Amino acid sequence: MKRLTTTRRHFLATTGALGAVGLVGGVPSMLRAQEGKVLRIRLDGDNNVLDPGYMVGGTEVEAQLQCLPFLAEYVREGDTFTWRPSQYVTKLEQRDPTHIDFELVDGLAWSNGYGTLKASDVAYSYNRMKTSDWSGYFDALETVEVTGDLTGTIVLNQAFAPFIMVTLCHGPGAIVCEKAVEDAGGRFTTDFPAICGPYTYSATPGQRVVFERNPEWTGPLPDFDRIEGNVITEVKASELAYEAGELDCTELGADTMARYQGAMPDNTAITTAGQLQYMWLGMNTEHEKLKDIKVRQAIQHAVDVDSILAGAYSNTTAKSHGIICPGLLGHRTESSYSYDPAKAKALLDEAGASGLELTLRTLNNQERMLAAQIIQANLAAIGITVTVLPVDSGPFWEMGIEEKGDTWKELELWLMRYGTVPDPYEATQWFVSDQVGIWNWERWTDEEFDRLYKEGIAETDGAKRADIYLRMQQIMEDTGAYVWINHEPEAYAHRADITINAAPSGELNYRRFNLA
Amino acid sequence: MTAYLFKRLGLSMAVVLAVVVVLFSLLHMIPGDPATIALGPRATPEAIARYAAKMHLDQPVWKQLVIYVGNAVTGDLGVDVFSERPVTTMILERLGFSMSLVFAGMGWAAVLGIPLGCLAAVKPNTWLDWITGVISVATIAVPSFLVSIWALLIFAVGLRWLPAIGAGEPGDLGDQFLHLIMPAFAVGLGWVGYLARMVRASMLEVMGEPYIRSARAFGLKPNKVIFGYALRVAILPTITLIGMGFGGLISATVFAEIIFARPGIGKLIFDSVMARNFPVVQGAVLVATALYILVVLISDILIAMLDPRVRDSL
Repeated sequence: MKRLTTTRRHFLATTGALGAVGLVGGVPSMLRAQEGKVLRIRLDGDNNVLDPGYMVGGTEVEAQLQCLPFLAEYVREGDTFTWRPSQYVTKLEQRDPTHIDFELVDGLAWSNGYGTLKASDVAYSYNRMKTSDWSGYFDALETVEVTGDLTGTIVLNQAFAPFIMVTLCHGPGAIVCEKAVEDAGGRFTTDFPAICGPYTYSATPGQRVVFERNPEWTGPLPDFDRIEGNVITEVKASELAYEAGELDCTELGADTMARYQGAMPDNTAITTAGQLQYMWLGMNTEHEKLKDIKVRQAIQHAVDVDSILAGAYSNTTAKSHGIICPGLLGHRTESSYSYDPAKAKALLDEAGASGLELTLRTLNNQERMLAAQIIQANLAAIGITVTVLPVDSGPFWEMGIEEKGDTWKELELWLMRYGTVPDPYEATQWFVSDQVGIWNWERWTDEEFDRLYKEGIAETDGAKRADIYLRMQQIMEDTGAYVWINHEPEAYAHRADITINAAPSGELNYRRFNLA
Repeated sequence: MTAYLFKRLGLSMAVVLAVVVVLFSLLHMIPGDPATIALGPRATPEAIARYAAKMHLDQPVWKQLVIYVGNAVTGDLGVDVFSERPVTTMILERLGFSMSLVFAGMGWAAVLGIPLGCLAAVKPNTWLDWITGVISVATIAVPSFLVSIWALLIFAVGLRWLPAIGAGEPGDLGDQFLHLIMPAFAVGLGWVGYLARMVRASMLEVMGEPYIRSARAFGLKPNKVIFGYALRVAILPTITLIGMGFGGLISATVFAEIIFARPGIGKLIFDSVMARNFPVVQGAVLVATALYILVVLISDILIAMLDPRVRDSL
């Protein structure tokens, strides 16, 4: 057997050669400019599950919007969002509160030889959703009746006004090809078993997703020939890539948005998709220290929300006055309390709460921590000592849930942010009586609130619905358990010669991007 | 030599096993229900049950560990919580990008750092030595993530000479090289200083040895004495440093991979931690650790081959 030997001279020579090979990879190609109508965008992660029933959401919905049929799509009218029938239907009508009739466009082909889009695909897609991870969106669905090759009726088990807006326009409303999905074993993850849309889909994990024109697509053609989605996890890296000219569109963080608003980069515009996040300072109405409503009202008056918006969010978010976000029915434009430290002090004195010490729990990210510190200073000004307790997301989301431990008993103050869908019913559902110990961490109950919640879902008259949700928010505010903070926007910077299209919750629909 | 080799291999495997146990324990000590943490606070009970079954969370922890180690030995590191893709495949897809970054980073650092160290050693206490010292300490002191951001702002955003993000077009070596320049510069910069200082110190020691004086007395050319005799001996501690450096760079690349949105093991770990995708975190950290141990093992074996005295010690 030959002995494994080397000499120092050989070692030095080999190391030098390896270093040279590592450094010289080939002749660099400086040709990086894009040709044709190519759109370069950012994806915040890989698409892990494209199946609408088991997806995570976000960019997976964006992929579905390019490759799968939907019955309806979002439309922006001024500052509000509504819906319209999609390119896949010739008819989509709410016949009565529990029946929605549809007729599909004839001849839209599925890829991979799976024939054309049929009403039976709609029935299959929506019925399977009732037992999926996104089943909550289909609680109101009774069944889908197929009345012809291209026609059918969506039957609801109760009047549910937001069904089209919330379910049919959004990712869970994507229609899959029955035969293709069954051939794939009933579920799929990182590739579509069949597509029916203007773009094909291919992904290189960790790097990019490419959408290219689908040669089988016979519907309206989008403006761009090719979409390149670059996987960039960090929004800061994405902003720099945009500034370096390597992206045509990127999401913006609050500080960068403020910087851009001060000095907009060349050939850049900012579009705000929606503001479907609502953040508040919550108080546990059952906690000994906060049982007295006067103490809670004192805190409402003591917190300077404008300072939080300026200090933690660079004035890039909308001031909140409730849980219904801007652009939705029932959005409030003012609250019944205001920043008034003198009144806060008086209320505290009335309650006889001197030397009060409270704990404020918050997620440990930069904006929340800044907001918590401002609240800490505000409350110190009226004599309340606050200890800020940063919490990681795992334990944070379990704090108020009774079955997850005993932390809910110790909860005093916390900073909370929920996201919602473009209809007011969703935001209100977490505060009904049976959510106490689950998501109603403030732990109050109100019969009128519960009744109005049911009425709001069934009501189809817009004005009446708005009144219902305004009243519900007033009830919440009157508990003293809430200091409304803000609604964070989903904002995008993009080339000024491109018009972008985004869902209220921020998902981009590239097929509806337009080039000037 | 063979006995030494077996002893080092056995020790390395023991270290990997210890890392698996520590890693596994740490992940199970994270507060909160693992399924809820991974799937989000509003996951359906069905999804949580499916996750728990898939991850064997219904089994005792020691049994989960045994199952994991048993599978890992056969190359099965589990599946991604969300996409259900094999973790091993995901790691292999990204390993090449991390390795090319590590080799390029350490490569240019060695090419520059070793001659700098030699230069400083042959002209000790001169302005050349002082300048080299300042450069070395400066490169060591600047954190690689700062270098990454500065490089990005200057060369990509400001001058637009180099690409800002990604790893380049698949199959286009030139484009991939362009995308490698800034990340390699950022991760390698600190090592220029380390290597220069180490080579200088070793060279100074060796240059005072009698055999070097003899070589000079025999009238050998200075370059022959420096590179042919002194550096051959002085390089030994540098090899150990480079070996450790490779291991350190595997974890240091995480900054560069995130800032330059470059696929790699570091970014995979970071993204998986953010998504609470624990099987991927576990698998990727295990592979990174194994690589570190492998590189250290190789450097130890190289030293043993170059210097027979160390073979008697473990």
